[in-house]
Amino acid sequence: MGARVPALPLAGLLAGLLAGVLAAPLALTPGTAAAQVRSVEVRSPRPFGIFLGDLVEAQVEILADPDFRLQRATLPQPGPVTYWLDLRAVAVDEAPVAGARRVRLRLTYQSFYAALDARTLEVPGFPLTLASEAATGLTTAAVQVPVWSLGVSPLREVQPQRREDPAEYLRPDGSGGRIDPGPDVAAAAGLGALAGLAALALAHDRAWGPFRQRPGRPFAAALRALRRQTGAEPDQAYRAALLALHRGLDETDGRRVLADDLGAFLARHGAFRGQAAGLARFFEASRLAFFGGRLPAARAAWPLSEAEALLARLAAAERSA
Amino acid sequence: MLTDWRAAAARFEAEVAKAVVGQERAIRLVTIAVFARGHVMLEGDVGVGKTTLLRAVARALGGAYERVEGTVDMMPTDLIYNTYLGPDGRPRVDPGPVLARAEDLSVFFFNEINRARPQVHALLLRLMAERSVQAFGRTYTFPNLQVFADRNRVEREETFELPAAARDRFLMEIGLEAPRDAAVRRSLVFDPRFHDTDALVGAVAGGVLDHARIGGIAAAIQHAVRAEPSIEAYVVALWDALVRPAEAGIRLPGLDTATLVQGGASPRGVAFLVRAARVRAWLEGRDWLVPEDVRAVFTEVMAHRVFLEPVHELQRGAIVPALCRAAFETVPAP
Repeated sequence: MGARVPALPLAGLLAGLLAGVLAAPLALTPGTAAAQVRSVEVRSPRPFGIFLGDLVEAQVEILADPDFRLQRATLPQPGPVTYWLDLRAVAVDEAPVAGARRVRLRLTYQSFYAALDARTLEVPGFPLTLASEAATGLTTAAVQVPVWSLGVSPLREVQPQRREDPAEYLRPDGSGGRIDPGPDVAAAAGLGALAGLAALALAHDRAWGPFRQRPGRPFAAALRALRRQTGAEPDQAYRAALLALHRGLDETDGRRVLADDLGAFLARHGAFRGQAAGLARFFEASRLAFFGGRLPAARAAWPLSEAEALLARLAAAERSA
Repeated sequence: MLTDWRAAAARFEAEVAKAVVGQERAIRLVTIAVFARGHVMLEGDVGVGKTTLLRAVARALGGAYERVEGTVDMMPTDLIYNTYLGPDGRPRVDPGPVLARAEDLSVFFFNEINRARPQVHALLLRLMAERSVQAFGRTYTFPNLQVFADRNRVEREETFELPAAARDRFLMEIGLEAPRDAAVRRSLVFDPRFHDTDALVGAVAGGVLDHARIGGIAAAIQHAVRAEPSIEAYVVALWDALVRPAEAGIRLPGLDTATLVQGGASPRGVAFLVRAARVRAWLEGRDWLVPEDVRAVFTEVMAHRVFLEPVHELQRGAIVPALCRAAFETVPAP
């Protein structure tokens, strides 16, 4: 018993599958297109008297069963259609009308036919596809937009009357209005002034030209600071003098100058090369005073007066640099 | 006594320089590390002479020397025990590379340390910090041990970055580059003397220094070299500048220094810095510290202890030296 129960749904499933396989191609074939598309009509407001370069409006109206929609991918692309005709624009308008669906294409053509006499030319037709999507599948219907005709005409007679001056064949040029330069000149002047102001601001930001800062004189400032402090305790004054010299060197170089950097410092700032011996003695004394813990010995070897003299010489060298 | 030892240190440097040319700075730094009793990490390209330098140093230093190569499958026990099957087919466990020379071990060279796993790093951490390991149910101590490690900076695959704690225990990270001097480069390539590393290292006189006594000398140096209050203030100012560069007024092009440094520069690191600077002062024949001593060892001692924000971590090779340079250009001395 247990084995027979699932047999029944299996059979039903197989039958359903078979039906599906048979039905699927039917749903996709556009066999009944004629019945689904009711009418195709091309209208043009003036399909004659077209000159070289004229734009020609044409309207294609398709009536189909209500559930059909135009497949936009099948629309013709704007571009050359034949050697004398370009399609310029395509606009689509779909709307339901009483018991049917109306698809309206607005086509804009441009004729480039240089006609010598009035004649009728054929505008090629093109295929379109309408589709109806339902849960069971997709139904498509092909629509052929028929060939229609266009009457083109020449702009002038084939053999015009002879003229003495060939220029007389041409129509005179149209005349242009006079242009007043006043507002433009005013705008140019205003913008020029603005540009000048911006350049000034940039120059200030970048320290160009008149805004360039003159190099400071750190040694002169150090010397002034040293002379200003009088009456301090001698050790204190000596320490302050060494520090003032250090700060002057640091500021001149833009970095901290240690004793071992003296050679590199002199290489970078040639103006102070004459003071090499004095600077070497200063660094020696400073090392001894600050890091060797022997300030009195440093003062004895290189007294305050020498520090001040060196600073004065450095300030002089700095001024002449 | 310290003067005699200074002469010995100069001899030591001269001997090592026989084997490794064009690396005066690296040799000076290694000498400082030896007398500061610090472990050293060498970093550099392949074939620039890292191993040759360390072998020459080990030979000139005297004492036992062991060397292991870091591999992905290496386990801590591989360093301590040597397990094999004896000729009678029975398993044997002998002391491994670390224990083989026991107390006499003076230089332990760990090649390609970043290829080893974190478990191995942990063992190494203990070896470096405490100079002892636990094995065969007892504690082995290595009073004279100095660990040298090297790391290849080209490859990043199948490597394990050292944890910050392990990196912090290295006194220095010395970057080794091929010499720039054209004459040295020529001789390195064409002189057959430099092609046979064994003969090259063999030419270095062995045991220039008595490795067993370096510990005592190192302590004596630390006591003998004075640091005035102004140098103390200078070192602390440098430390502040390194950890909070924006507050010290440091500007680096293209970087926001206010958010650049995440941390690091531990007090242990700064203590190491002063230790190395004191040794440098002693080697220069002074018994007091000057800012140049600090500057001479600063990058090697401090750079690997600074941890940047993760976005900048990949460029640390360029950023941290620039930061150190900027600190020296900004902090006033005295």
